[in-house]
Amino acid sequence: MTKNNSHDKSLESRGLNKYCVSVCGGTGCHAYHCEQVSEAFQKEVKDRGIEELIEVKTTGCHGFCERGPIVVVFPDGIFYQRVKPDDVNEIIDGLLDGHKIVERLLYVDPVTNEKAIHVSDLVFYKKQVRLVLGNNGKIDPKRIDDYLALDGYQALLKALNAMSPEQIIEQVKRSGLRGRGGAGFVTGAKWDLCRKAKGTTKYITCNADEGDPGAYMDRSILEGNPHSVLEGMAIGAYAIGAHEGIIYVRTEYPLAIENLHVAIEQAIERNYLGKDIRGTGFDFTIRICQGAGAFVCGEETALIASIEGERSPEPRMRPPYPTESGLWSKPTNNNNVETWANVPLIIGKGAQWYSTIGTEKSKGTKIFSLVGKVNNTGLVEVPMGISLREIIFDIGGGIPNGKKFKAVQTGGPSGGCIPLSLLDLPVDFERLTDAGSMMGSGGMVVMDEDTCMVDVAKYFLNFLKDESCGKCASCREGTLQMYEIVKRITEGNGKEGDIPLLENLGNVVQKASMCGLGQTAANPVLSTLRYFRNEYEAHIQEKRCPALVCKALISYVIDAEKCLGCTVCAKNCPNDAIIGEPKKTHRINQAKCIKCGICVSSCPPKFKAIKIVSPAIS
Amino acid sequence: MDKVDNNGKVGAALVVGGGIGGIQSALDLANSGFRVYILEKSPSIGGVMAQLDKTFPTNDCSMCILAPKLVSVARHPNITIITDAELEKISGEAGNFLVTVRKKPRYVDVEKCTGCGLCMQNCPVHQAIYMNGTIEQTQLSPEMVRGIKNILEDFRDTRGSLMPVLQNINSEYGYLPADVLKYISKQLHIPLSLIYNVATFFKAFSLTKRGKHIIRVCQGTACHVRGAKRVLEEFERVLGIPPGNNTEDLIFTLETVNCIGACALAPVIMVDNEYYGHMTPDKVSVVIDKCYKDKE
Repeated sequence: MTKNNSHDKSLESRGLNKYCVSVCGGTGCHAYHCEQVSEAFQKEVKDRGIEELIEVKTTGCHGFCERGPIVVVFPDGIFYQRVKPDDVNEIIDGLLDGHKIVERLLYVDPVTNEKAIHVSDLVFYKKQVRLVLGNNGKIDPKRIDDYLALDGYQALLKALNAMSPEQIIEQVKRSGLRGRGGAGFVTGAKWDLCRKAKGTTKYITCNADEGDPGAYMDRSILEGNPHSVLEGMAIGAYAIGAHEGIIYVRTEYPLAIENLHVAIEQAIERNYLGKDIRGTGFDFTIRICQGAGAFVCGEETALIASIEGERSPEPRMRPPYPTESGLWSKPTNNNNVETWANVPLIIGKGAQWYSTIGTEKSKGTKIFSLVGKVNNTGLVEVPMGISLREIIFDIGGGIPNGKKFKAVQTGGPSGGCIPLSLLDLPVDFERLTDAGSMMGSGGMVVMDEDTCMVDVAKYFLNFLKDESCGKCASCREGTLQMYEIVKRITEGNGKEGDIPLLENLGNVVQKASMCGLGQTAANPVLSTLRYFRNEYEAHIQEKRCPALVCKALISYVIDAEKCLGCTVCAKNCPNDAIIGEPKKTHRINQAKCIKCGICVSSCPPKFKAIKIVSPAIS
Repeated sequence: MDKVDNNGKVGAALVVGGGIGGIQSALDLANSGFRVYILEKSPSIGGVMAQLDKTFPTNDCSMCILAPKLVSVARHPNITIITDAELEKISGEAGNFLVTVRKKPRYVDVEKCTGCGLCMQNCPVHQAIYMNGTIEQTQLSPEMVRGIKNILEDFRDTRGSLMPVLQNINSEYGYLPADVLKYISKQLHIPLSLIYNVATFFKAFSLTKRGKHIIRVCQGTACHVRGAKRVLEEFERVLGIPPGNNTEDLIFTLETVNCIGACALAPVIMVDNEYYGHMTPDKVSVVIDKCYKDKE
């Protein structure tokens, strides 16, 4: 191996006894104003003149977004949560005082009530296998040295110096890596097709148009560890024979775009990208292409059309597949962000090692964004084959406020809802598809008893009818008609025969549409009909919403026993629908109530006097 | 070749319109022995089908269906094509009409023209063919022209330039002004219709002016199950506008977004670049008041 000594310096400069304060700079923590915390640390360290002792770093997402802003102090890995700028002094004092820990900032396990000191002590992290996300907490994404210090770009050098393209494809095939974007096509096989395709000019693209609502793992990788994606793409380009790569990023992710630009610049500067990479004679450049907010552009042919820009960005007919004729009619290999980020691991540590993780047909790990009604929301990376129960109840810490679990939605708008009875299902591509859902890009939205499944179906149909590009009549009209039917049901105007009609329509949309969007558009309806038919029936026959969500089927009432007449709800009610004198029980005038729910959120938590009932009081 | 029967009826037919329907009718009539005239107002026959790539639902190649028919029409001894002409008057009765046709001036010697198309390529007035013959004048200030030229300079002569150009204009002006689109259509030699096709396809582009503060209410799944809809409804009520609109004073624009990717904070909204997490309906007025205060 040659020319790989450049990173040694940054390793030495860190020193084993030096503390490293790593402040999470992911979007979740950003919203909690982590930048103020990081600035406070930097200022304090500078003011005290202890830069030699303590290094402050703003890193990518640590995953545990629920408890942000997160601060981890290395080398011990002490985990502080909900840190405010005022806490900075105390943390630094503690460090200078020799490993003194600030107890009040530690994470307290809601189940056992025990305090967790180190990252590894947290239940949230215990069952995870953080291969791809692991380095997020250790790297400043704007500094290539940090990535190099953790053996970054070593896999690329290994590939370029010691392996032939065929060997790389063979390794990727043997690792069993499958596309992380959702469909799960075997990555090595796709590369092989593209390598063997006719033509000298070939392209590779990285699909970072993470459109699934409720999923943000690609964002985290791009923001926290952009070089891992660049390295994966460079290896892929060498294997396929491409010299130009394009990353198609959602415009909703400004930080990801910024960090990618910086990363590409630095990689070119250090010659890990560009002409004659590290003296191996291989040229490869990457450029960024920004999306503009269209869900369908996550579909690979639409993504390609969108990059070309001078045509309507609609999906195209297949075959020919993009591996034969893609971008500008040249062979194009498109993979998802997470797939690319897995490649350096496989080449670096070997296919043998990688294939020991996961199940028979689904290898490696998968990142899920565990969100919705769950205690520990955040990004979790787990080995394939782990059960849904372990993800939601062990890592996720169960459902908040003692509510009951109802369903988990995977796969975004293309996926489906999985009920309680299937919670022990091992998570892999095949099992999820059998259950009427799909792996998708990795959104995992947990729903509790307060979530109405008919409303969820309506939500996805509304999304899909807006995002359908309109090319196929079955998808354009089918999603609209299904939406109208489900909307009617939630408004209390459901009819006998609506359920079979929905199933019928759903089947037509599935079979008669051209691209993945249409083919899976019926999943949310069909899967909720399969597992939660009783909720549809309650809406249609009894005009009742069991989860108390659908506006037309509920009424707000004040519980006379709990209301002490504090007048807060009456003051906040926008339509003067609440009547009552101070210190006397209030009453809601149903004729005036617009069901906005402000009374519920404004009623002091110690009273909780506002109840919701269904069917509606006429 | 005209057939004349005992009632004085003429065996000739006029097909008005040279689209695929007209072409097929002309061929059927001519093959059954009639003399056929095809009248077409545009300079060539073929109509809309000649502009299509594929036909629905079979995805058959449109040109593959049309082209052989065009050739048979042109070669058919019983068909005469009259293009660039319009029907002016019809008199007579069924079986014996008298038709007056007005031919438009061509400014081209039809006898000599070989249809090579070089004149079109060399014409300095671009896109005339797409714009129905008239070039619309755009009203842009010199500063705007300079600004747009700077944007265009970076992307001129590169493939796939339309998207980044539109993105830059959108971030520069907050929306895509109609005049600017007309201007770049001419500059980039891209038909205006295609620019509108792209501009209306994507959510991030707006064709109308937007407010000073842009409120984005996330409607992602995680936000939805935690009550984002109630939050959106409250915004609609307080601001008095549905999503996608501006308040009258142009202070606020209310928008929905499919997912901001900050699901841990659900329900989450963004005002300009600021995130507000764990929203409830009663916090809506607080956020709006804060914007007003910041303004002062």
